[in-house]
Amino acid sequence: MTRMTRLEATHAVTGWATPSTAIVASLGHPAYDLFAAGDRDANFYTWGSMGLASSIGLGLAMAQPDRRIVVLDGDGSLLMNLGSLATIGWVRPPNLVVIVWDNALYGTTGGQDTATAHGADLAAAAQALGITTVETASSPDDLKRALARVDAEPGPWVIVAKVDENAPASKPPLDCAFIKQRFMAAIGTPESSTQGTTADVRPA
Amino acid sequence: MSSSPVWALGVCAGLHAAGSRHVVYVPDNPLSHVLKVLREKYPDVTTTIATREEEAFGIAAGLYLGGMRPTVMLQSSGLGNSINALTSLFVPYQIPALIVVSMRGDAHEWNAAQVPMGRAVASICDAIEIPHVTVGAPESTADTVALVGRTAFGTRRAGACLLPRRITVPPVGAGA
Repeated sequence: MTRMTRLEATHAVTGWATPSTAIVASLGHPAYDLFAAGDRDANFYTWGSMGLASSIGLGLAMAQPDRRIVVLDGDGSLLMNLGSLATIGWVRPPNLVVIVWDNALYGTTGGQDTATAHGADLAAAAQALGITTVETASSPDDLKRALARVDAEPGPWVIVAKVDENAPASKPPLDCAFIKQRFMAAIGTPESSTQGTTADVRPA
Repeated sequence: MSSSPVWALGVCAGLHAAGSRHVVYVPDNPLSHVLKVLREKYPDVTTTIATREEEAFGIAAGLYLGGMRPTVMLQSSGLGNSINALTSLFVPYQIPALIVVSMRGDAHEWNAAQVPMGRAVASICDAIEIPHVTVGAPESTADTVALVGRTAFGTRRAGACLLPRRITVPPVGAGA
């Protein structure tokens, strides 16, 4: 079976996403590879808050039920916030797609094993926590099939994609407020503070 | 309905007045009064329960990015579970939330395990640049919550409203 690197798999996701798709990336290598695969305004790169990418995605999916929300998480990050799967399994937003890059190691911190290298099964965990639409992908063809299922059936989806670690060669913008403002403008919720005003601004 | 305490009615009126229509929370005993009022009187407010306070803040950040004005409700003990979400997501990205904290460890506490965190809440908020206001009386709860919420969403800074235990669990004979 043909393996895939996380960057190759990320390219497959960005190629599949439509312009309206919002993509949230977990900090470190998942975010770096999303930037490398295709920077776009509707990408939300996290620089901290390890574990919370799927939670941010859940909030987005509830706030914008008509927009597809894709989360690019890591196995180590998801293990830090497994309760998120239980909440997603309860709320069941049909427009949420959580993709877990499972390389069985903490790639951003030097390659220490995660529990998925020793038997932990995140796809089974998602099912056990109430998510019924779950796929596992170990090859580019698997991933392509899984994404086609996402197009055909409502979620919430969890796709656990087995990937090989690759050394990222780029990093997304560092300015967190810029990332947020650009993202919100792209998904139709620009902050009023970025818009200026034509109202009468003379002192009362 | 009439049995709901004034402070709980005030929390709901205040968050609603601040434009919040989604409350993400980890429950505690006093906050159950707030949840009851929301259920009975505010059908336009959605509530989502999280497994952990840090997760609640992640969900709230997503709600804000998607155009909502989120409220996060938690017990003071859960602030300790939330610090990394606040310092590495809310503060640097300038993401606001109205934070409603049911205090433990302050006056009228009986559980020693609640005291250290309860005593540290204000200092922690100061250290991580989360402005905080303590509600002074049941009758002023609505105005205080609304003010903290409007300031948070207006300035894109999360702000906390602390509900002291002398209000949420009044001593016998204290009324309200």
